Amino acid sequence: MIDFNNVGLRYGHGPEILRNLTFNIEPGSFHFLTGPSGSGKTSLLRLLLLSLKPTSGVVKLFGRDVSAMDQDSLLDMRRHIGIVFQEFRLLDHLTTFENVALPLRVRGEPESVYRSNVTELLEWVGLGERMDALPPLLSGGEKQRAAIARAVIGRPDILLADEPTGNVDPELSLRLVRLFAELNKLGTTIILATHELPLLDSFDFPRMALRDGQVTMHG
Amino acid sequence: MADAALDTAIGAPVRVQGSRRATAIVPERSVAGRTLVLLIAIMTFLSGVTLGGVVLVQKSAVAWSSDVGREVTIQIRPVEGEVMDSNIRTAIALAEATPGVTEAHALTLADSEKLLEPWLGAGLDLSQIDIPRLIVVELGDPKNVDMSMLSTNLQSIKGASLETHAAWRQQLNTMAGTLVVSGVLVLALIVLATVLAVVFATRGTMASNREIVDVLHFIGASNSFIAGEFQGRFLSLGFRGGVVGGLGAVLFFFIVAGAAGSIMPDQASAQLGFLFGRFSLGLDGITGIAAVVPVIAALTAITSRTTVRRFLTQTS
Repeated sequence: MIDFNNVGLRYGHGPEILRNLTFNIEPGSFHFLTGPSGSGKTSLLRLLLLSLKPTSGVVKLFGRDVSAMDQDSLLDMRRHIGIVFQEFRLLDHLTTFENVALPLRVRGEPESVYRSNVTELLEWVGLGERMDALPPLLSGGEKQRAAIARAVIGRPDILLADEPTGNVDPELSLRLVRLFAELNKLGTTIILATHELPLLDSFDFPRMALRDGQVTMHG
Repeated sequence: MADAALDTAIGAPVRVQGSRRATAIVPERSVAGRTLVLLIAIMTFLSGVTLGGVVLVQKSAVAWSSDVGREVTIQIRPVEGEVMDSNIRTAIALAEATPGVTEAHALTLADSEKLLEPWLGAGLDLSQIDIPRLIVVELGDPKNVDMSMLSTNLQSIKGASLETHAAWRQQLNTMAGTLVVSGVLVLALIVLATVLAVVFATRGTMASNREIVDVLHFIGASNSFIAGEFQGRFLSLGFRGGVVGGLGAVLFFFIVAGAAGSIMPDQASAQLGFLFGRFSLGLDGITGIAAVVPVIAALTAITSRTTVRRFLTQTS
């Protein structure tokens, strides 16, 4: 599903952030992406999200070389990928329901079609009673669950999470990773970036360790 | 997708919500709304006033040209040994014998006094001085009048000359044409200024909504969708500003027409009325100003869409 072959990335004329990354991720797998701050986790996730193109090497998603794809094709492919950010990135002027429904709205689906799905998903992540609340009124955990719901409402094949537990307490971190694990059981391929060792030790998922721009697969 | 086990894990109570009205993705307050509405209102007002002015001048010029074209004037200068009244009668007879002429009549001394009043003052006694006398010749169909025949016939009267106002009409048409072209140029400049203002407002709005644009990109929104969201917001602002400015322009002409009739002295009012037809825009003028409103709104929307798409292409 995800194939990296000697992939390198640099910003402008700066130093190489990622070097010679070569790995393969199978469909339906769950990987932790680990590494110290500044090791390139976010850059790797941005490559996977197709918001960056590699400066060298080949990235293949769903069997297609992303470097050779035009913008429309990249956009179509991006709709198969969900993303959860550490800082949630919910739109403050939209209700929780509207934030979660946003990926469907931008695809042109009418609310009458997606209303029940969004409602069901919000209930599933425990935000059934917070649908009409604006994000500034939600707690950190609620915001993160809303962000996760937004990432999965479009039924993505790949779910990327960039430090999704960075702004919540340890107990909620565990519950959120359990939520990702449940999504993984439903068939979604998950890459979860984190540098919280206790969290890594609580789950038996394979790890991709980034250090000095290079990746090592464990497990 | 419901999963009872997960509900337990998260501890979520369940409540199904009813339908709701979708909030705009680009928040209204994030667009420089009031300022832009005011700016577009001013631009529409200026466009409307310019367009109305052009319509007034054009209509007046056509009316003047038509009025002047339906008349020619015979001037009889005093000549030693000639009897003025006799010459006037002869000239009238010759004029009325010309095909296409419906009527000819001499201006009385009182009429001549009135014509000279603005230059020589009131209360003149013209009986003491010899002044040329004028004969107004009204034409039924100006195109079919044989002016050369009338001119030749008038040569038999000493001191008589024919004034067809051709030079005056030519000057009038040139002046009206110049004013219309100037008005169109001013309109073009206003449109250009509006476009530039909307470009800057859109860029500012894009910068202040960068987070929204990024999120929309991350969740798979196309540039076209994002541009459409901004375009919709700007179309609404453009329409509101356009309506305010357009109404202001129409109101302006009504107020000026009223002021010209009630504030100005009768003589000035009459002269302005002669020049501009009492500032009456007419249906075509009001229609023209009304047409400016959707044009400005559409221009605002198209400009913002183009600016957003260029911005997105540059930043993608």
